[in-house]
Amino acid sequence: MKEKLLSILFVGILFLGGIYILMSKDQEFSTYERRKLMTKQELKKDIFHNLDPFFRDQLPWRNHFLALNSFVERSLLQNKESNQVYLINDFMIEKNDNIEEKKLNGFISKINKIQNQYLTNHNIFFSIIPDKSYFLDSQKYPKMDFDYMIQKLKKEINIPYIDIMNDFQLEDYYKTDIHLKQPSYLKILNKLEQHFSLLNQKENYQKKQYDNFQGSSFSKAPLYASQEPLVYLTNETIEKAKVNYLEYNETPVYTLDKLGTIDSYSVFLNGPSAILSIENSNADSEKELIIFRDSFASSLAPLLIPYYKKITLIDLRYIDMSLTNQYIDYEKQDILFLYSTLIVKESNLLKVT
Amino acid sequence: MLFSSISFLFFFLPCLLLCYYICPKKYRNYVLFLFSILFYYLGEKKYLFLLLISCFINYIFGKKIYKTKTKIFLILGLLFNLGLLFYFKYANFFFENINYILPHKLPILNVVLPLGISFFTFQNISYLIDVYLNKIEHEKNILNYCTYITLFPQLIAGPIVRYQDIAKELKKRKENITDFSAGIIKFVIGLGKKVLIADTLYNLCMNLMTIQTSMVAIWILALGFTLQIYYDFSGYSDMAIGLGKMFGFHFPKNFNYPLISSSITEFWRRWHMTLSNFFKDYIYIPLGGNRCSIPIQIRNLLLVWILTGLWHGASWNFIFWGLYFFCFLVFEKWILKKYLKKGFISHIYTFLVILVSFIIFNITDFNQMVIFLKGMIGIAVPIINQDIIYNLSNYFVILILACIGIGPWWKKLIYKLQKGKENKWIDFVSVSYILILFILSIAKIVSNSFQPFIYFRF
Repeated sequence: MKEKLLSILFVGILFLGGIYILMSKDQEFSTYERRKLMTKQELKKDIFHNLDPFFRDQLPWRNHFLALNSFVERSLLQNKESNQVYLINDFMIEKNDNIEEKKLNGFISKINKIQNQYLTNHNIFFSIIPDKSYFLDSQKYPKMDFDYMIQKLKKEINIPYIDIMNDFQLEDYYKTDIHLKQPSYLKILNKLEQHFSLLNQKENYQKKQYDNFQGSSFSKAPLYASQEPLVYLTNETIEKAKVNYLEYNETPVYTLDKLGTIDSYSVFLNGPSAILSIENSNADSEKELIIFRDSFASSLAPLLIPYYKKITLIDLRYIDMSLTNQYIDYEKQDILFLYSTLIVKESNLLKVT
Repeated sequence: MLFSSISFLFFFLPCLLLCYYICPKKYRNYVLFLFSILFYYLGEKKYLFLLLISCFINYIFGKKIYKTKTKIFLILGLLFNLGLLFYFKYANFFFENINYILPHKLPILNVVLPLGISFFTFQNISYLIDVYLNKIEHEKNILNYCTYITLFPQLIAGPIVRYQDIAKELKKRKENITDFSAGIIKFVIGLGKKVLIADTLYNLCMNLMTIQTSMVAIWILALGFTLQIYYDFSGYSDMAIGLGKMFGFHFPKNFNYPLISSSITEFWRRWHMTLSNFFKDYIYIPLGGNRCSIPIQIRNLLLVWILTGLWHGASWNFIFWGLYFFCFLVFEKWILKKYLKKGFISHIYTFLVILVSFIIFNITDFNQMVIFLKGMIGIAVPIINQDIIYNLSNYFVILILACIGIGPWWKKLIYKLQKGKENKWIDFVSVSYILILFILSIAKIVSNSFQPFIYFRF
C-alpha cells in the first residue's frame, strides 16, 4: 500500500509539474523577484543551455516555493542572513561586510582623476551616503569598517568632504529597499546650503504618498516583508520643473506612472539614466549644479531644484566620463560627488577611463 | 545535467519513466542508452563523442581479450584508458610541474576535463581486467556494454559500478513496485542531503574562508568541509542508487556512515567504498596485498594512496591528502591497531584525523593550507573572534542536524518504532516525510542557491 501510494504521488507530482510547465501560458515577469522570467520563446533559441532556467522559472507555485525556502532558512534553520539579507525590526538590510582595498583605491583615483581633468575651477564637494548596513550592531553582525573607509576617502580625495554619515538613522530608509526616503534628505539640506553658500529657500512641501511600495529587497524574504508607503515631496517649483534626458523624452520630476510598476522608486526622475538635467525656469538664481551620483541622488535632487536654475545628474555607471563633455560644458557649476557606500565598494562600475 | 535541477526532475525523469515503462522489455536498454546519451550531452556537449568512442574501443578490446586470452590486448586497452585519463586530467598538471625543472618551457595544453572521465575510465578498466582474469564473460551485445558505461545515474559521479555488479540485470531485470518505491525514498533522501544540507554548509564554508580567521573558525571550517563533502557525495550516491532501483538495477553501496568510524582503516572501508574496492582489487592485491614483507606492503600502500590522492584531482594538495592517509593507515596497521577499539577515544581520534584531512583536501593553495594547519593548533591566530561567533550562531541548527545525520540512529529509531505499531500510521508518516523532504528540496532548488556536485570535478 505504502509503496503504491508513494510511487503514485511522486510520479504524479513529476508528471503534472512537467505537463503544467510545458502546456500552460508562460509567466513573463516575476513581480516577486523583480526580473524577467525565461519563456518558451527564449528556450527555443538555445534549448540545451536554457532548459533548466526555463523549467525553474516556469515551475507552478514558484513564489510559494521561494517563500517556503525563506521560511525554512530564517525560522527553522535560524539563518539570520538568508539570501544575503538581514531582517531586523522589519528592516531588510543587505549584507555588506567587507571592502576590497583595490576597489576603495579605485574609487579614490577615479574621483581625483575627474577633478583633475575636468573640474579645476569649480566649487566642489564630495559626500558619502551610508547604506543600511552602517546601522548594524557590529557586536552582533559582521559589517564593513565604515570609519576606515571614510577616513581614507577624506584623506586621499583632493576635494572637501561634507560629512552626512551620522545625519541619518535606520528609520530614514525604506524597510524593503536600499534607498533613503525622500523626506529624510531634508535633514541634510542645511549642510548643503552652507557648503555651497546657497540662500535658504524656506520651501514648503506637500507630502504625497503611494501606499503599496515594495523595494528591491522585498523578494529576498517575502514572508517577512510587507508593503510600505513611498512619500514624495512636491510644490509648485518642483511641479513646474522639466527633466531632459540623454535617453528619453522630457518628463516631469516625478513620473507617476512608475508607481505600481516593478521599480516604483523610478518615480524619482524616471529611474536610471546616464545624464539628465532638471531645468527650473522660475529660479531666482543663475547657479547651476552638477551631481555625479548613483540612484540615491534621484530623490535628493528634486529638493535642490529651488536653489538652482539647472541641475545636471551624471551617472557614470551608464556613460564613460570621457564622453560627458560632448553633452556638458564644465564651466563654473557647483559640483557635488554624491555616492552611497555601495558604489564606493563597487567602484569598478564607474566608467572613468 | 544535475539530478538536483528542475529540468531533470520535471522533464528528463518523467519523460524517461514514460518511455521506459511503455516500451517492451527487450527495447528498454535502447531507451536507457538514448536517454543517458542525452543526459551527458546536456551537461557536456563537447565530449559526448569521446565517451562513445571510449565505449566502442573498450568493447572491442574486451572482445579481443576474451577471444585471444593474450596480455597484449589488455595492455593496449589499459594504455588507451590511462592515456585518455592522463591527457585529459593530468597533462596540464604534469607540464606545469615539469616546466619548473626544464630550461625550456613546454606548452601548457589547457585541456578541459570531460565530465565523469575518472568514473567511466575506471569502469572500462575494471571490465577489461575482469575479462582477462576470466572473472566475467565479455559482453556480446555492444548496446548492453554502452548502456552499462553510459547508464546515467552512475555516469558522472559514480558509484563505480563494475560490470559484474549489473551484468545479469543488463540482460534481464525485473522492475517491481517495491524496488521502485525504495528507489524513490533513496533518491529523495539523497536530494535532501545534497540540496538542504550540503549546499547550506557550502555557504558556511564560503563565509569562513573570507572572515578573519581564528583557531575555532578553522576547526569549524574543517567540520563544515567534512560534512559538506559527505552530504554532497553520499547524497549524489543515494540519488544514483535510487534512480538505478527505479529502473531495476541494484548498484553497490558507496557510503556506510563513514564519519562514525573508530579508525582510519575503518573509515576507508565505509567512505567511497567502490573506489576503495577498485584500488584494493586492481592495485593492492595484484601487487601482493598483505601476503608479502612489511617493506613491500608499505610500498604497495604508498602507491595506492598516491593514486587515490591523484584520482581526486591533478593537484599537489590531493597527493598530500593521499599521503596523509597513507601515514595514518601504516601507523594503525602496525602500531595503533591493538589500541583502537570501539570506544569514545577511538572515534574522537578518527574524527579529528578526518577533519584535518579535509582542510588539506579543500585548500589548493599550499601557503594558505599551512596557515590553516598551523591555525588549528593556535599558531599565529587568535583562539576565537567575533566573526566566528556570528557564523556559528547563524549555522548552528544546520551543523547540529548535519552532525546527527552522520550515524544510523534515525534509521534504528524508525525500525524500532515500526515494530508492534499499526502499519498504516507508520506508512502515512513515512510517505509524508518523503514528500515533505521533496517539496523542501524543490523550494531550495527554485531559490537557485544550489551548487554543482563536488565529485563532478573528479
